[in-house]
Amino acid sequence: MNKWVRENLWRHAVAIAVCIFSLFPLYLVILSSLKTTGSLQVSSFIPHEISFANYTYLFHSPKAPFLTWFRNSIVIASTVAISSVFIGAASAFAFSRLKFRGKRLGIRLLLLVQMFPAVLAISAVYVIMERVYTFAPKIGLGSQGGLILVYLGGSMGVNIWLLKGFVDSIPAELDEAAKIDGASSVQTYWLIFLPLATPVLAVVCLLSFIGTFNEFILARLFLVEMNGRTIAVGLQQFIGGQYASNWGPFAAGSILASIPIVIIFLSLQRFIVNGLTAGSVKG
Amino acid sequence: MALLTEHAFAQKQFVIGSFILVATLALNIVYLTKISIPFKFFLPGILFFFAFVIAPIFFTVQMSGYKYQTGNYLDKPAALEQVLILGAQPDAAGTSFDINVGKTPSNEYAILVSDITNNKYFISTKTQRTDVPKASLKFDANGVAIAAPNFTPISAIDLAKNDAYSKINYKYEGKYYIAIEGQNSGGVFRQELSYDAKTGVLTNTATGATYVDNHRGNFAKVGSPSEILNPGWRAPIWFENYSRLFSDPKIRIPLIRVFTWTFFFAGFTVLSTFGLGLLLAMALNRAMRGRRVYRSILILPYAMPSVMSILIWAGMFDSDFGAVNSILHTSVHWFQNPMLARGVVLLVNLWLGFPYFYLICSGSLQAIPNELMEAAAIDGANPRQVFRKITLPLLLQILSPLLIASFAFNFNNFNLIYLLTGGGPTQTLNGEIAGSTDILISYTYKIAFGNPNLQDFGLASAISVLIFLIVASISMYGLRRSKVMETFV
Repeated sequence: MNKWVRENLWRHAVAIAVCIFSLFPLYLVILSSLKTTGSLQVSSFIPHEISFANYTYLFHSPKAPFLTWFRNSIVIASTVAISSVFIGAASAFAFSRLKFRGKRLGIRLLLLVQMFPAVLAISAVYVIMERVYTFAPKIGLGSQGGLILVYLGGSMGVNIWLLKGFVDSIPAELDEAAKIDGASSVQTYWLIFLPLATPVLAVVCLLSFIGTFNEFILARLFLVEMNGRTIAVGLQQFIGGQYASNWGPFAAGSILASIPIVIIFLSLQRFIVNGLTAGSVKG
Repeated sequence: MALLTEHAFAQKQFVIGSFILVATLALNIVYLTKISIPFKFFLPGILFFFAFVIAPIFFTVQMSGYKYQTGNYLDKPAALEQVLILGAQPDAAGTSFDINVGKTPSNEYAILVSDITNNKYFISTKTQRTDVPKASLKFDANGVAIAAPNFTPISAIDLAKNDAYSKINYKYEGKYYIAIEGQNSGGVFRQELSYDAKTGVLTNTATGATYVDNHRGNFAKVGSPSEILNPGWRAPIWFENYSRLFSDPKIRIPLIRVFTWTFFFAGFTVLSTFGLGLLLAMALNRAMRGRRVYRSILILPYAMPSVMSILIWAGMFDSDFGAVNSILHTSVHWFQNPMLARGVVLLVNLWLGFPYFYLICSGSLQAIPNELMEAAAIDGANPRQVFRKITLPLLLQILSPLLIASFAFNFNNFNLIYLLTGGGPTQTLNGEIAGSTDILISYTYKIAFGNPNLQDFGLASAISVLIFLIVASISMYGLRRSKVMETFV
């Protein structure tokens, strides 16, 4: 007993203490989503009344087209995730496997450009898309199509960088074997590399999805129409915009919006963690 | 895409148009020929990268050499046009007339003017004025002429579709002309400023004062350079935005404060998140009851969409509606006190960041071979010594690129600051725009997009170039030390 206490007590103590820290805000937000008053104020940790008014508000109020926002987020994030991985994988493959002039320069440029504060390039992106709007409104400022294009461009660097790390970790013997058998680079890519890389591509796809889902500034700048907004922008309006301090619906909405992401994340955490380290550590 | 190009050129967006054109050609050449195999893989990525990453960066760097701020947004021709419009002065009496817009038989815009006070009626075009005898006119109930010979009225709906008519100055008397003030009214104006395109000199015909380009984006009065005409235009001022960062105390002092806080914020965040993550990883680094449950709970903050969690925290620390005050039975204004606000920012960022390092550390701890620690233990080292002499140095070596990446990320952690505190509290009374929790990136965002009367894109661009240099050199140093770059050689 004594030994167990010495060996394990502090471990449990640390773990429990930090668990409380990590659950604290989440628990409060669940509590306040079940209240009728619109604040995050909590008088006790045990709910006295449970009301689903906030949840029904989200689904029925015309002021808050929650489902539309959610669908927008999903559509935008998955379009960006899938296309950026598709485009990025090809570039990453080339960086990793092909020999060509300017390869080192290209990789360094890619890395360097990542360090430019993206938030500041927003004004320039805004001006560009404003101009695009004058001749192609569907992919210009204010459209989801335009936002998707901007996201795609912005995610390209990170994704190529991350994917290159993965590609490097896939043994080159296989595609060398294919080459000896007479396959061209393009054939190697489609027939050997892509099937092999599918699991890692899925992880990068997922990370990119979560990243896009979380994006806020560009989405707010681009999507002004109520029905075109993403979930992050929409919910922020609850507490920042004209419905100031409308915490109840915000709490309910943020829980509903987080659940799918949290589930995906928890069930795939092993792969995601591997992905996070592989991309950066191995380079 | 060819169609897009055409549309772009039709709208005079030559730069974007040519980009689309080049992109189209490149796509065709690369995919239809065998000119370059690597390009088949690269091209789509490169195109996106150029359009939305390189081009904006290029634009930003360029802007950092310009005077580009409130009052200096336009290009020179547009600014000159605006200056001339503002140079139009109404006549002394502020005369205005009832008018109807139409066309002459030669398809030129014309207005039918009813000067009811003087019982005079005339048709004016840009170049000439023709008096019309009253007998040949038709009037509406208010005595305004609505139809005349040689004059085809244009309906209000058609006028609304095309506003070209409103930009014409219709002839009145001498230097005076009639400018459109609405579909049915026009005022008498005189242009006081005249521009000589050859010498580039603006002359005020009323006062005789002359104005010349001061090469800083404005027309300034000759002999009194501080009197300038608004609006100005974007003018190249080379490195002045950069030198202002150091020479102008109004910029330098807040910048240094923000800069210090940014470094402290990023450094403290890396240390605290890494420390807590490592502690957890050590604590849970063995088979024990409940480990899976702990793990799932501990990574919840990381799994939550961060925008949501930041907003939730912002709500919790709200002084009136927040949970923290109601639990502690206090009424602390968390976001009004600079030190408290900074504390909250650090706490929230710890919450957001520790699961990442917990996951990374627990993975890396397992990668350190057990033999090393066993050997040390056999040699008589106690657990603390093993940790300090073996585990920690090894971990730091493995994780240094991630620590540096985390520093660089937090250095530019815009979402956190923007959504949690908005950079505040800010002493707005003395015109300060930098708040106590503002980091460089949020401060720069405020300079560029904040108060519409004080926006300064040029200065903001200069600061972002500075941020870029700092972050890039830190990261490069880190990468070089961790030898990641060697894999490319």
